[in-house]
Amino acid sequence: MELLNLNIPSWSDLAYWRPEAILCGTFLAALLGDLIGRGRRPAISFVISVFGLITAGAYSVAAVLHGGAAHTIMGDLIIVDGMAAFFRLLFILAGLATVLFSWTAEEIMGRKRENKAEFFYLTVLMTAAMMVMAEARDLLMLFLSMEAVGLVSYVMAGYMRTSLRSTEASLKYVIFGAVSSGIMLYGLSLLYGMTGAMTFDGIRAGLLAGEVNGLSLLITVILILAGMSYKIAAVPFHFWCPDVYEGAPTPVAAIFSVGPKAAGFALMIRFFYTTLAAGADPSASAPLIELINWPLLMAVIAAVTMTYGNLVALRQLNVKRMLAYSSISHVGYLLMGFVLLTDAGLAAILFYLAVYTLMNLGAFFVVVALNNHIKSEELDDYAGIGFRAPWLGTMMVIFLASLTGVPPFAGFAGKFYVFTAVMDRQWFWLAILAALNSVVGLYYYFRVVKAMFLTRPAEGADTTPLKIHWLQYTVLAVLAVPTLVLGFWFGPLKVLADQAIGLLSTGM
Amino acid sequence: MDTMLPMGSVDVGMNGHFATVLIFVLIGFFFAAVALIVAKLLRPHDPNPTKLTTYECGEETRGSSWIRFNVRFYLVALFFIVFDVEVIFLYPWAVVFKHLLPLPELGVLVFWEMVIFLVILSLGLAYIWVKGDLDWVKKLVDRAEDEPPRRNPLLKSVTNEEGSQ
Repeated sequence: MELLNLNIPSWSDLAYWRPEAILCGTFLAALLGDLIGRGRRPAISFVISVFGLITAGAYSVAAVLHGGAAHTIMGDLIIVDGMAAFFRLLFILAGLATVLFSWTAEEIMGRKRENKAEFFYLTVLMTAAMMVMAEARDLLMLFLSMEAVGLVSYVMAGYMRTSLRSTEASLKYVIFGAVSSGIMLYGLSLLYGMTGAMTFDGIRAGLLAGEVNGLSLLITVILILAGMSYKIAAVPFHFWCPDVYEGAPTPVAAIFSVGPKAAGFALMIRFFYTTLAAGADPSASAPLIELINWPLLMAVIAAVTMTYGNLVALRQLNVKRMLAYSSISHVGYLLMGFVLLTDAGLAAILFYLAVYTLMNLGAFFVVVALNNHIKSEELDDYAGIGFRAPWLGTMMVIFLASLTGVPPFAGFAGKFYVFTAVMDRQWFWLAILAALNSVVGLYYYFRVVKAMFLTRPAEGADTTPLKIHWLQYTVLAVLAVPTLVLGFWFGPLKVLADQAIGLLSTGM
Repeated sequence: MDTMLPMGSVDVGMNGHFATVLIFVLIGFFFAAVALIVAKLLRPHDPNPTKLTTYECGEETRGSSWIRFNVRFYLVALFFIVFDVEVIFLYPWAVVFKHLLPLPELGVLVFWEMVIFLVILSLGLAYIWVKGDLDWVKKLVDRAEDEPPRRNPLLKSVTNEEGSQ
């Protein structure tokens, strides 16, 4: 029978895919719980979501401890390997932190909200979709997973549906998403036309076998980069980023700033590493990279992205917008790891992403906690707030210092590895530019610190201490402690990142 | 490498395939241009107001077509998609299911896959039902509640001037 020639998925595939399957089940169960509670009992969905995320996390940890080779499952569409395991843990951490923190966030759980539970199970679904993004090894799954993350994001951005700004953010996100997906699809179709293959391995083989025209490969790569740059908000596809972060509820902005970005990077790493990079066999495909002058292309994108993000962040008076532009500049630093498509550079990206997830989530969560009380994200309203909530202020200082990249915080270790990766191959101008950019970052990050601790509040302003929920302190501590510790004890995470990339290259 | 070409076709490479597309596009443009140019050359040019009115069955338009449609229409459209997608997937599934059923493991797998799919879709239906999207008459929502004042640094100076006058 001809049908059997296809690689049809079987039940045994699920053995390697437990975290994803659990999260999909959690999503359905939490949705059902919401419906049973008639939309008035968000606690049901919250408990189910937290439980599901923890279970999925436990299975992911077990999979990491088990180690093991890469497994190609679901009819060759998905690969579960070391890198997938790394990102699973990252996404579950981000999802779980967001769900837990949002339970006490006024913007999500405020009295007027009518769809509170939806936030929790949408976050779960997004986590599952992001995990698939890190596992896709086929053009179809690449596009499908990106759209899955996108669709959930559009709904979450418009979560406050009675707020004009939130709906505006959602609409902007949808339109930008549709356009960039279209551009990327065009690139993917060209790639399929050139190689006749859908899997990344097949594309690589096709590119190496046929006589590839440098110009058409360059155009294809740029078109595909357009779609991915949108996901990670790299210049010139960053326009949606500040508006969406400002309009969406802050917990949503928090997960947007780490989750889909990390997933976009995971996808880029797997796609470009598999199709273009030298990988384990350096002689084979280095010509592909040189053919399109990949290092220069990525170096320019990285340089423009980090400089633009930093310079515009200088002018922001709204902390959320400032963090949005700062996240754009961090994308620039991260892209530096892509310039040479070497194992060292990609491992540096993974390390930086893990650190970035911790510190950026933390900074956004502090904004959420403050927003619960002062109902504002304007810098002026942060005056003297450090004395009303000393612990919160201290944690904000930790996160911002780490975002700046000052030793001994984790951000420094992250930047160190990325910078080393480019300096190893004599890209000094890029490293110097990035170092200068970090200095610019110092100014706008510490302006927030200055407002919190050194500026006097306006006359007659409220100076009573703020009551911060214990759950918020717990989540923030869980994020702040590694941000501190990873600054001087980064060995284990580095080993994990190296292993993830090492398994990526041997897994093929 | 999994090259996929239609049966019996010759592999002429991507440029070959797209050359066909290009020729189609060019011929298309050519036909349209010829029709327009020939008509322009042959027809008499004598417009008058009666001639320029809407032709036969067309209504005279009133107002702009840029009006707001009630969002409920979109909800109904989405609701329709739930069943539409269901049928689209059920139909090919039903066609191959007969052949797959005798196979030991695969038949069961394919059956339960469709059951899971249907359960997910019916959850979607339950969702719109419980959330009240099947009710045609809805209560109005107060839009203003979530709007913090937008502070634009560029507008600040303008409002200050107004305040001082």
